[in-house]
Amino acid sequence: MKHFNWLLLLFCMPLLAAPDGKALYENNCSSCHHSQGKGGIGLPLTPEILSQLSDAYIAKTIRHGRPGRIMPSFEQLSLAQVNAIVRYVRSWTGKPAPVFQAAKIKGDAAKGKPLYEKHCVRCHGKDGSGEGPGTGVTMSRERTFMVMPAALNNSGFQKSASDAMIRDIVASGRKSSDMPSFKSKLSDEDIAHVVTYLRTLKPPVIKQGMEEWRGKPAYIMESPYDFETTVENVKQALTGANFRIFPQRYLEQGLVDEFSVNTRQVSIRFCNFKELYHLLNIDPRLGTVLPCRINVMAQNGKVLVISANVAHLATLFNNQELSEVGVLMEEIILTVMEEATL
Amino acid sequence: MRLFASLCLMLSLVLPVGADQTLVMVRSEAPAQYVMDVLKETLPEYGYTVAHTQRCDGGMAEFHYKSDFYRVVFFGKLEEVRTILARHPEMSPYLPLKITVVAENGETILASMDPRSLGGFFPEDAELQLQFLRWYNDIEAILDEMRRLKKK
Ligand code: HEC
Ligand code: HEC
Repeated sequence: MKHFNWLLLLFCMPLLAAPDGKALYENNCSSCHHSQGKGGIGLPLTPEILSQLSDAYIAKTIRHGRPGRIMPSFEQLSLAQVNAIVRYVRSWTGKPAPVFQAAKIKGDAAKGKPLYEKHCVRCHGKDGSGEGPGTGVTMSRERTFMVMPAALNNSGFQKSASDAMIRDIVASGRKSSDMPSFKSKLSDEDIAHVVTYLRTLKPPVIKQGMEEWRGKPAYIMESPYDFETTVENVKQALTGANFRIFPQRYLEQGLVDEFSVNTRQVSIRFCNFKELYHLLNIDPRLGTVLPCRINVMAQNGKVLVISANVAHLATLFNNQELSEVGVLMEEIILTVMEEATL
Repeated sequence: MRLFASLCLMLSLVLPVGADQTLVMVRSEAPAQYVMDVLKETLPEYGYTVAHTQRCDGGMAEFHYKSDFYRVVFFGKLEEVRTILARHPEMSPYLPLKITVVAENGETILASMDPRSLGGFFPEDAELQLQFLRWYNDIEAILDEMRRLKKK
């Protein structure tokens, strides 16, 4: 029994020891923000930028994430773990963290609105969602900005940033990402008005997929036609919807030799490259659910036409822009499937 | 002591799991082509067959959209795929499994869907839940190996 206790204690060691900020960062953050904070799908966390961000803001950002703006909320991390990550990130700067007052800034939102529209809209968008497709640092595809302006209407940002910190960012700008300093253009009062206006920005309402299919992994329809005719019908409907069709594959193809493969299960793969290019700008991780395909399967005397529930799939990315595309795609795919099985 | 120990045990089992995680994602400092080659060697070590790879960058280039290395690797185990599709044809869009390999400034991002995120669709099927968990463990372990690859 004694040994058993020791064994358990050993098991617990990692929990009792101080959490390792570097390891935690590399496990949870570096995929998006880069191992040294150079940015990627996430914004850069360079020393210059960190010099404008308080530790409290970083800690809250980790907790809240950015709902609908890719960054997940890390609710499962302990307080000690969050603090360890913050300390690790801070260690890149070699300087103490800035501290901002928590007090609200009292400006006039009505006066801030026209200032926001004049100075900020072209980058942060009318409703504060951020202009142009995608987030973070632009790498391999052309986008509107080298660093995509953050969503200021995001609830995660709003909950994490204090008024004083926002005021400081607006006054100083962000040289590395082309956000100008507004010190010479806006008075302290003006900046206070803009900050107060920012607090009124609301995140867009999330559209949902069709009720009929909600809670289902796939759209599935039974075809009144035989297997071959159904395959042809799907292809025709896809071509009609302006998709390019790839050579079809058997679902089991590549997993088994050509003599044993089930030839009554095919994947009809399709794409619209212009759309794909645009979507990869919004979220380069999209390939995890691509390519688009409609499967036709003959099973138990039935011919089934099946597609992933794209409206649901799109929500896996915690990316509002993508979720909207998912809802649009749902309509297109269901139309194709209905046409093919009519 | 007993209580403390079992509390610890419970915590250590519970903590590392991101409850509402939907994607598994890692960064590797190694370049994409190299990661891709190693990935294709690693999948069979976990018992999976690589069914095929899709070159999304090639397709886009054909239409004059420039993109860096962008591939999707499809992999699976025939028996698993057959058993599951016989019971659940609606699982067919998710099989074979896939991992995306994307170049990012000389480094590589790998991402895959967390199969456990499909669990909610099949509350009745305990066997399938276990399957999702097994797939997740494999994907997690494989991606962790890719994460550890060194710069070349
Ligand atoms: C899946 C990608 C992803 C992961 C993982 C991620 N982030 Fe983020 N993060 C983002 C994105 C995207 C933004 C910017 C949102 C926007 O553009 O509105 C962001 C914003 C931030 C910001 C605000 C930066 C600023 O300039 O105000 C901080 C700080 C941050 N993340 C820290 C972290 C830390 C620490 C972790 C790990 C615990 C982490 N992030 C994990 C994607 C991610
Ligand atoms: C030329 C484009 C541009 C203009 C104009 C601009 N910004 Fe920005 N802003 C950005 C970019 C890009 C970022 C993200 C920079 C980064 O993190 O590297 C940003 C970040 C911010 C942030 C930090 C948000 C976060 O999550 O990190 C705030 C606050 C902000 N801007 C407010 C404003 C306000 C208010 C105005 C108008 C007075 C304004 N910006 C004008 C481009 C711009």
